[in-house]
Amino acid sequence: MPSLKDLKIRIDSVKSTRKITKAMQMVAAAKLRKAQEAAERGRPYAEKMRVIVSNLASSVKNVTGENNFLGDGIDSKKFLLIVATAERGLCGGFNSSIVKLAKSRIAELTSQNKEIKILTIGKKGREQLNREFESLFVDHFDLSDEKTITIETARKISKNLISRFEKGEYQVAEIFYNKFASVISQIPSSYKLLPVSFNEEEAGADSISFNFEPDEDEILKEIIPKSIATSIYSVLQENAASEQGSRMAAMDNATRNAGEMIDKLTIDFNRSRQAAITNELIEIISGAEAL
Amino acid sequence: MTDKFELSVISAESKVFEGEVESVLVPGMVGDFLVLSNHAPCISSIRPGFLEFSEGSSSKQRYFVSGGIIEVINNTVSLLVDLAIIGDKVVKEDIYTLISEIDEKLAIPDITSKDDLGLRKNDLEEALKQV
Repeated sequence: MPSLKDLKIRIDSVKSTRKITKAMQMVAAAKLRKAQEAAERGRPYAEKMRVIVSNLASSVKNVTGENNFLGDGIDSKKFLLIVATAERGLCGGFNSSIVKLAKSRIAELTSQNKEIKILTIGKKGREQLNREFESLFVDHFDLSDEKTITIETARKISKNLISRFEKGEYQVAEIFYNKFASVISQIPSSYKLLPVSFNEEEAGADSISFNFEPDEDEILKEIIPKSIATSIYSVLQENAASEQGSRMAAMDNATRNAGEMIDKLTIDFNRSRQAAITNELIEIISGAEAL
Repeated sequence: MTDKFELSVISAESKVFEGEVESVLVPGMVGDFLVLSNHAPCISSIRPGFLEFSEGSSSKQRYFVSGGIIEVINNTVSLLVDLAIIGDKVVKEDIYTLISEIDEKLAIPDITSKDDLGLRKNDLEEALKQV
Protein backbone atom coordinates (compact mmCIF):
# COMPACT_ATOMS: atom_id res chain seq x y z
CA MET A 1 0.00 0.00 0.00
CA PRO A 2 1.58 3.30 -1.03
CA SER A 3 1.87 5.86 1.69
CA LEU A 4 -0.30 8.96 1.84
CA LYS A 5 2.55 11.08 0.62
CA ASP A 6 3.15 8.85 -2.40
CA LEU A 7 -0.50 9.07 -3.34
CA LYS A 8 -0.52 12.82 -2.98
CA ILE A 9 2.48 13.12 -5.27
CA ARG A 10 0.89 10.86 -7.86
CA ILE A 11 -2.38 12.78 -7.80
CA ASP A 12 -0.52 16.03 -8.32
CA SER A 13 1.47 14.65 -11.21
CA VAL A 14 -1.61 13.27 -12.95
CA LYS A 15 -3.33 16.60 -12.41
CA SER A 16 -0.53 18.48 -14.13
CA THR A 17 -0.57 15.97 -16.98
CA ARG A 18 -4.27 16.59 -17.34
CA LYS A 19 -3.63 20.30 -17.53
CA ILE A 20 -1.15 19.78 -20.34
CA THR A 21 -3.39 17.49 -22.36
CA LYS A 22 -6.31 19.85 -21.87
CA ALA A 23 -4.23 22.75 -23.13
CA MET A 24 -3.00 20.72 -26.10
CA GLN A 25 -6.56 19.79 -26.94
CA MET A 26 -7.64 23.41 -26.95
CA VAL A 27 -4.68 24.48 -29.04
CA ALA A 28 -5.43 21.69 -31.52
CA ALA A 29 -9.05 22.81 -31.70
CA ALA A 30 -8.02 26.36 -32.56
CA LYS A 31 -5.47 25.16 -35.12
CA LEU A 32 -8.02 22.78 -36.60
CA ARG A 33 -10.41 25.61 -37.25
CA LYS A 34 -7.67 27.59 -38.95
CA ALA A 35 -6.57 24.63 -41.04
CA GLN A 36 -10.13 23.96 -42.11
CA GLU A 37 -10.63 27.57 -43.14
CA ALA A 38 -7.44 27.54 -45.16
CA ALA A 39 -8.51 24.33 -46.87
CA GLU A 40 -11.86 25.86 -47.68
CA ARG A 41 -10.25 28.94 -49.21
CA GLY A 42 -8.03 26.86 -51.44
CA ARG A 43 -10.84 24.67 -52.72
CA PRO A 44 -12.22 26.80 -55.61
CA TYR A 45 -8.77 27.04 -57.18
CA ALA A 46 -8.15 23.31 -56.91
CA GLU A 47 -11.55 22.45 -58.37
CA LYS A 48 -11.21 24.83 -61.28
CA MET A 49 -7.71 23.59 -61.93
CA ARG A 50 -8.94 20.01 -62.17
CA VAL A 51 -11.66 20.98 -64.62
CA ILE A 52 -9.25 22.92 -66.83
CA VAL A 53 -6.70 20.11 -66.85
CA SER A 54 -9.39 17.60 -67.74
CA ASN A 55 -10.65 19.85 -70.53
CA LEU A 56 -7.15 20.31 -71.77
CA ALA A 57 -6.22 16.66 -71.56
CA SER A 58 -9.30 15.52 -73.42
CA SER A 59 -8.52 17.86 -76.28
CA VAL A 60 -4.86 16.91 -76.47
CA LYS A 61 -5.42 13.83 -78.55
CA ASN A 62 -2.09 12.51 -79.64
CA VAL A 63 0.52 12.95 -77.02
CA THR A 64 3.89 11.47 -77.67
CA GLY A 65 7.35 11.65 -76.20
CA GLU A 66 8.98 10.12 -73.19
CA ASN A 67 8.33 12.87 -70.71
CA ASN A 68 4.67 12.45 -70.97
CA PHE A 69 2.71 13.68 -67.99
CA LEU A 70 -0.56 12.27 -69.21
CA GLY A 71 -1.65 8.67 -69.12
CA ASP A 72 -2.90 5.97 -66.84
CA GLY A 73 0.46 4.53 -65.80
CA ILE A 74 -0.83 0.97 -65.86
CA ASP A 75 2.26 -0.70 -67.32
CA SER A 76 4.71 1.40 -65.37
CA LYS A 77 7.60 -0.23 -63.58
CA LYS A 78 9.00 2.53 -61.43
CA PHE A 79 6.96 3.88 -58.57
CA LEU A 80 7.56 6.81 -56.28
CA LEU A 81 5.58 6.73 -53.06
CA ILE A 82 5.24 10.03 -51.25
CA VAL A 83 4.41 9.57 -47.61
CA ALA A 84 3.04 12.78 -46.11
CA THR A 85 2.87 12.71 -42.33
CA ALA A 86 3.11 15.16 -39.47
CA GLU A 87 6.17 16.71 -37.89
CA ARG A 88 4.89 16.03 -34.41
CA GLY A 89 3.55 13.07 -32.54
CA LEU A 90 0.90 12.90 -29.82
CA CYS A 91 -1.87 12.81 -32.35
CA GLY A 92 -3.31 9.36 -31.90
CA GLY A 93 -3.02 7.00 -34.81
CA PHE A 94 -2.58 9.77 -37.35
CA ASN A 95 0.97 9.01 -38.45
CA SER A 96 0.89 5.25 -38.09
CA SER A 97 -2.31 4.91 -40.09
CA ILE A 98 -0.67 6.64 -43.05
CA VAL A 99 2.48 4.57 -42.69
CA LYS A 100 0.42 1.39 -42.45
CA LEU A 101 -1.34 2.19 -45.71
CA ALA A 102 1.96 3.02 -47.40
CA LYS A 103 3.51 -0.21 -46.13
CA SER A 104 0.68 -2.31 -47.52
CA ARG A 105 1.12 -0.57 -50.88
CA ILE A 106 4.86 -1.24 -50.77
CA ALA A 107 4.20 -4.92 -50.09
CA GLU A 108 1.73 -5.05 -52.96
CA LEU A 109 4.12 -3.39 -55.39
CA THR A 110 7.03 -5.54 -54.26
CA SER A 111 5.05 -8.66 -54.98
CA GLN A 112 4.52 -7.33 -58.52
CA ASN A 113 8.27 -6.81 -58.90
CA LYS A 114 8.00 -3.06 -59.27
CA GLU A 115 10.80 -0.70 -58.52
CA ILE A 116 9.90 1.46 -55.53
CA LYS A 117 11.28 4.73 -54.26
CA ILE A 118 10.06 6.61 -51.24
CA LEU A 119 9.92 10.33 -50.62
CA THR A 120 8.81 11.50 -47.21
CA ILE A 121 7.19 14.70 -46.06
CA GLY A 122 7.17 15.13 -42.31
CA LYS A 123 9.65 13.42 -40.05
CA LYS A 124 7.27 11.15 -38.14
CA GLY A 125 6.57 9.02 -41.17
CA ARG A 126 10.23 8.88 -42.03
CA GLU A 127 11.12 7.65 -38.57
CA GLN A 128 8.61 4.86 -38.82
CA LEU A 129 9.69 3.77 -42.29
CA ASN A 130 13.38 4.19 -41.62
CA ARG A 131 13.92 0.75 -40.08
CA GLU A 132 12.59 -1.30 -42.95
CA PHE A 133 12.93 0.82 -46.05
CA GLU A 134 15.87 3.12 -45.56
CA SER A 135 17.46 1.95 -48.82
CA LEU A 136 14.42 3.16 -50.78
CA PHE A 137 14.49 6.75 -49.54
CA VAL A 138 15.26 9.35 -52.17
CA ASP A 139 14.41 12.64 -50.49
CA HIS A 140 12.76 14.24 -47.52
CA PHE A 141 10.89 17.47 -46.92
CA ASP A 142 10.87 18.94 -43.46
CA LEU A 143 7.90 21.16 -42.72
CA SER A 144 8.65 21.82 -39.07
CA ASP A 145 9.57 25.44 -39.80
CA GLU A 146 6.25 26.16 -41.46
CA LYS A 147 3.45 27.22 -39.21
CA THR A 148 0.89 26.98 -41.96
CA ILE A 149 1.09 25.25 -45.29
CA THR A 150 1.75 27.70 -48.08
CA ILE A 151 1.44 27.22 -51.80
CA GLU A 152 5.16 28.00 -52.01
CA THR A 153 5.98 24.82 -50.10
CA ALA A 154 3.75 22.83 -52.42
CA ARG A 155 5.45 24.40 -55.43
CA LYS A 156 8.86 23.46 -54.09
CA ILE A 157 7.82 19.85 -53.64
CA SER A 158 6.15 19.76 -57.04
CA LYS A 159 9.28 21.14 -58.70
CA ASN A 160 11.36 18.44 -57.10
CA LEU A 161 8.91 15.76 -58.23
CA ILE A 162 8.77 17.01 -61.78
CA SER A 163 12.53 17.18 -62.21
CA ARG A 164 12.77 13.60 -60.94
CA PHE A 165 10.03 12.58 -63.33
CA GLU A 166 11.77 14.22 -66.25
CA LYS A 167 15.00 12.42 -65.37
CA GLY A 168 13.06 9.20 -65.59
CA GLU A 169 13.53 8.27 -61.95
CA TYR A 170 9.95 7.11 -61.73
CA GLN A 171 6.84 6.77 -63.84
CA VAL A 172 4.07 6.84 -61.29
CA ALA A 173 3.86 8.99 -58.19
CA GLU A 174 1.40 8.27 -55.44
CA ILE A 175 0.95 10.35 -52.34
CA PHE A 176 -0.26 8.96 -49.00
CA TYR A 177 -2.07 11.15 -46.53
CA ASN A 178 -5.05 11.32 -44.23
CA LYS A 179 -8.24 12.52 -45.79
CA PHE A 180 -10.22 14.80 -43.55
CA ALA A 181 -13.69 13.28 -43.29
CA SER A 182 -14.75 14.98 -40.09
CA VAL A 183 -13.27 16.23 -36.85
CA ILE A 184 -13.36 12.74 -35.38
CA SER A 185 -12.71 10.69 -38.46
CA GLN A 186 -9.72 10.78 -40.79
CA ILE A 187 -9.32 8.26 -43.55
CA PRO A 188 -5.84 7.23 -44.68
CA SER A 189 -5.92 7.56 -48.45
CA SER A 190 -3.66 7.60 -51.46
CA TYR A 191 -3.81 9.79 -54.52
CA LYS A 192 -2.06 9.40 -57.83
CA LEU A 193 -0.20 12.60 -58.64
CA LEU A 194 1.57 11.51 -61.78
CA PRO A 195 0.95 10.73 -64.52
CA VAL A 196 -2.02 13.05 -64.67
CA SER A 197 -5.06 11.04 -65.52
CA PHE A 198 -8.34 12.59 -66.38
CA ASN A 199 -11.89 11.49 -66.71
CA GLU A 200 -14.25 12.82 -69.29
CA GLU A 201 -16.92 13.42 -66.70
CA GLU A 202 -14.90 15.98 -64.85
CA ALA A 203 -14.32 17.88 -68.03
CA GLY A 204 -18.09 18.15 -68.28
CA ALA A 205 -19.29 21.04 -70.38
CA ASP A 206 -20.29 18.56 -73.08
CA SER A 207 -16.86 18.61 -74.68
CA ILE A 208 -16.95 22.19 -75.87
CA SER A 209 -14.14 22.87 -78.28
CA PHE A 210 -11.87 25.46 -76.78
CA ASN A 211 -9.57 27.86 -78.45
CA PHE A 212 -6.13 27.44 -77.02
CA GLU A 213 -3.59 30.15 -76.81
CA PRO A 214 -0.68 29.62 -77.48
CA ASP A 215 -1.42 25.90 -78.16
CA GLU A 216 -2.36 22.83 -76.15
CA ASP A 217 1.17 21.60 -75.62
CA GLU A 218 2.43 24.94 -74.43
CA ILE A 219 -0.41 25.40 -72.01
CA LEU A 220 -0.06 21.86 -70.82
CA LYS A 221 3.60 22.48 -70.08
CA GLU A 222 2.57 25.52 -68.07
CA ILE A 223 -0.32 24.00 -66.28
CA ILE A 224 0.89 20.53 -65.29
CA PRO A 225 3.41 21.77 -62.71
CA LYS A 226 0.76 24.12 -61.37
CA SER A 227 -1.82 21.43 -61.17
CA ILE A 228 0.58 19.12 -59.34
CA ALA A 229 1.50 21.88 -56.93
CA THR A 230 -2.19 22.49 -56.34
CA SER A 231 -2.83 18.82 -55.68
CA ILE A 232 0.05 18.67 -53.23
CA TYR A 233 -1.18 21.84 -51.59
CA SER A 234 -4.65 20.48 -51.03
CA VAL A 235 -3.28 17.14 -49.84
CA LEU A 236 -1.04 18.88 -47.33
CA GLN A 237 -3.91 21.01 -46.15
CA GLU A 238 -6.17 18.02 -45.66
CA ASN A 239 -3.33 16.38 -43.82
CA ALA A 240 -2.84 19.40 -41.57
CA ALA A 241 -6.53 19.53 -40.71
CA SER A 242 -6.58 15.79 -40.08
CA GLU A 243 -3.54 16.02 -37.86
CA GLN A 244 -5.15 18.64 -35.67
CA GLY A 245 -8.44 16.75 -35.59
CA SER A 246 -6.66 13.57 -34.65
CA ARG A 247 -4.64 15.33 -31.98
CA MET A 248 -7.74 16.95 -30.59
CA ALA A 249 -9.46 13.58 -30.24
CA ALA A 250 -6.37 11.96 -28.76
CA MET A 251 -5.89 14.75 -26.23
CA ASP A 252 -9.57 14.72 -25.34
CA ASN A 253 -9.22 11.03 -24.58
CA ALA A 254 -6.08 11.60 -22.55
CA THR A 255 -7.77 14.34 -20.56
CA ARG A 256 -10.67 12.08 -19.77
CA ASN A 257 -8.40 9.21 -18.79
CA ALA A 258 -6.43 11.50 -16.52
CA GLY A 259 -9.69 12.61 -14.90
CA GLU A 260 -10.67 9.01 -14.25
CA MET A 261 -7.27 8.26 -12.81
CA ILE A 262 -7.47 11.25 -10.51
CA ASP A 263 -10.86 10.07 -9.23
CA LYS A 264 -9.50 6.63 -8.56
CA LEU A 265 -6.39 7.89 -6.85
CA THR A 266 -8.41 10.33 -4.75
CA ILE A 267 -10.59 7.48 -3.52
CA ASP A 268 -7.46 5.47 -2.69
CA PHE A 269 -6.04 8.49 -0.93
CA ASN A 270 -9.17 9.08 1.15
CA ARG A 271 -9.39 5.41 2.04
CA SER A 272 -5.83 5.23 3.26
CA ARG A 273 -6.27 8.45 5.18
CA GLN A 274 -9.38 7.02 6.85
CA ALA A 275 -7.54 3.78 7.54
CA ALA A 276 -4.69 5.70 9.13
CA ILE A 277 -7.11 7.67 11.35
CA THR A 278 -8.96 4.50 12.38
CA ASN A 279 -5.67 2.85 13.12
CA GLU A 280 -4.58 5.69 15.33
CA LEU A 281 -7.89 5.69 17.19
CA ILE A 282 -7.67 1.96 17.79
CA GLU A 283 -4.15 2.42 19.13
CA ILE A 284 -5.27 5.18 21.49
CA ILE A 285 -8.28 3.23 22.70
CA SER A 286 -6.39 0.00 23.22
CA GLY A 287 -3.67 2.00 24.96
CA ALA A 288 -6.23 3.53 27.30
CA GLU A 289 -7.80 0.13 28.02
CA ALA A 290 -4.45 -1.35 28.92
CA LEU A 291 -3.96 1.18 31.73
CA MET B 1 -24.89 49.37 -72.10
CA THR B 2 -22.97 46.21 -72.73
CA ASP B 3 -23.91 42.79 -71.43
CA LYS B 4 -22.24 41.59 -68.29
CA PHE B 5 -20.64 38.25 -67.52
CA GLU B 6 -19.27 36.39 -64.53
CA LEU B 7 -15.65 36.89 -63.64
CA SER B 8 -13.81 35.12 -60.87
CA VAL B 9 -10.17 35.70 -60.07
CA ILE B 10 -8.91 32.90 -57.88
CA SER B 11 -5.48 32.42 -56.38
CA ALA B 12 -4.36 29.19 -54.75
CA GLU B 13 -4.86 30.60 -51.30
CA SER B 14 -8.04 32.62 -51.66
CA LYS B 15 -10.67 34.10 -53.92
CA VAL B 16 -9.46 37.48 -55.09
CA PHE B 17 -12.48 38.75 -56.97
CA GLU B 18 -15.87 37.46 -57.93
CA GLY B 19 -18.62 39.40 -59.64
CA GLU B 20 -20.21 40.60 -62.83
CA VAL B 21 -18.13 42.64 -65.19
CA GLU B 22 -18.47 44.20 -68.61
CA SER B 23 -14.99 43.55 -69.92
CA VAL B 24 -11.65 42.10 -68.91
CA LEU B 25 -8.30 42.98 -70.38
CA VAL B 26 -6.01 39.99 -69.96
CA PRO B 27 -2.23 39.88 -70.40
CA GLY B 28 -2.19 36.71 -72.50
CA MET B 29 0.97 34.75 -73.21
CA VAL B 30 1.04 35.86 -76.84
CA GLY B 31 -0.42 39.31 -76.30
CA ASP B 32 -3.03 41.25 -74.40
CA PHE B 33 -6.60 40.48 -75.25
CA LEU B 34 -9.98 41.81 -74.27
CA VAL B 35 -12.81 39.55 -73.23
CA LEU B 36 -16.37 40.76 -73.61
CA SER B 37 -19.57 38.84 -73.04
CA ASN B 38 -20.33 35.94 -75.39
CA HIS B 39 -16.65 35.35 -75.96
CA ALA B 40 -15.83 32.03 -77.60
CA PRO B 41 -14.68 29.31 -75.21
CA CYS B 42 -10.94 29.48 -74.74
CA ILE B 43 -8.13 28.51 -72.45
CA SER B 44 -4.98 30.57 -72.38
CA SER B 45 -1.97 31.07 -70.20
CA ILE B 46 -1.20 34.46 -68.79
CA ARG B 47 2.09 36.26 -68.49
CA PRO B 48 2.93 38.60 -65.62
CA GLY B 49 1.28 41.95 -66.11
CA PHE B 50 -1.80 43.97 -65.37
CA LEU B 51 -5.31 42.67 -65.43
CA GLU B 52 -8.00 45.27 -65.99
CA PHE B 53 -11.72 44.85 -65.70
CA SER B 54 -14.67 47.19 -65.40
CA GLU B 55 -17.81 46.44 -63.48
CA GLY B 56 -19.61 49.37 -65.05
CA SER B 57 -18.77 52.25 -67.31
CA SER B 58 -17.23 54.22 -64.49
CA SER B 59 -15.43 51.79 -62.26
CA LYS B 60 -12.26 50.21 -63.48
CA GLN B 61 -10.15 47.84 -61.43
CA ARG B 62 -6.55 46.92 -61.94
CA TYR B 63 -4.74 43.94 -60.56
CA PHE B 64 -1.15 42.91 -60.97
CA VAL B 65 -0.94 39.20 -61.71
CA SER B 66 2.23 37.16 -61.84
CA GLY B 67 1.05 34.64 -64.38
CA GLY B 68 -1.61 31.98 -64.42
CA ILE B 69 -4.29 30.60 -66.64
CA ILE B 70 -7.63 31.81 -67.95
CA GLU B 71 -10.67 29.82 -68.96
CA VAL B 72 -13.59 31.38 -70.80
CA ILE B 73 -16.71 29.29 -71.11
CA ASN B 74 -20.43 30.11 -71.39
CA ASN B 75 -20.01 33.69 -70.29
CA THR B 76 -18.06 32.64 -67.25
CA VAL B 77 -14.47 33.73 -67.04
CA SER B 78 -12.23 32.05 -64.51
CA LEU B 79 -8.73 33.27 -63.90
CA LEU B 80 -6.40 31.07 -61.91
CA VAL B 81 -3.52 33.26 -60.87
CA ASP B 82 -0.34 32.58 -58.93
CA LEU B 83 -0.41 35.92 -57.25
CA ALA B 84 -2.73 38.90 -57.56
CA ILE B 85 -2.25 42.30 -56.01
CA ILE B 86 -4.70 45.16 -56.34
CA GLY B 87 -3.28 47.72 -58.76
CA ASP B 88 -2.81 50.52 -56.26
CA LYS B 89 -1.08 48.31 -53.80
CA VAL B 90 1.53 46.97 -56.16
CA VAL B 91 4.88 48.08 -54.97
CA LYS B 92 7.97 47.83 -57.04
CA GLU B 93 9.50 45.57 -54.40
CA ASP B 94 6.99 42.84 -55.21
CA ILE B 95 8.00 42.82 -58.82
CA TYR B 96 11.66 43.06 -57.95
CA THR B 97 11.27 39.97 -55.81
CA LEU B 98 9.76 38.10 -58.74
CA ILE B 99 12.56 39.26 -61.02
CA SER B 100 15.23 38.20 -58.59
CA GLU B 101 13.57 34.80 -58.31
CA ILE B 102 13.94 34.42 -62.05
CA ASP B 103 17.53 35.62 -61.89
CA GLU B 104 18.20 32.91 -59.35
CA LYS B 105 16.81 30.32 -61.70
CA LEU B 106 18.82 31.70 -64.61
CA ALA B 107 21.93 31.32 -62.51
CA ILE B 108 21.47 27.56 -62.46
CA PRO B 109 23.69 26.36 -65.31
CA ASP B 110 21.77 23.44 -66.79
CA ILE B 111 18.23 24.72 -66.67
CA THR B 112 16.19 23.94 -69.75
CA SER B 113 13.69 26.76 -69.93
CA LYS B 114 16.10 29.67 -70.16
CA ASP B 115 14.27 31.32 -73.02
CA ASP B 116 10.96 31.18 -71.21
CA LEU B 117 12.46 32.69 -68.11
CA GLY B 118 14.11 35.43 -70.11
CA LEU B 119 10.79 36.35 -71.68
CA ARG B 120 9.09 36.34 -68.33
CA LYS B 121 11.74 38.64 -66.96
CA ASN B 122 11.11 41.03 -69.83
CA ASP B 123 7.40 40.96 -69.02
CA LEU B 124 8.07 41.79 -65.43
CA GLU B 125 10.35 44.63 -66.35
CA GLU B 126 7.67 45.90 -68.67
CA ALA B 127 5.15 45.76 -65.85
CA LEU B 128 7.56 47.57 -63.62
CA LYS B 129 7.49 50.53 -65.97
CA GLN B 130 3.73 50.71 -65.69
CA VAL B 131 3.68 50.94 -61.92
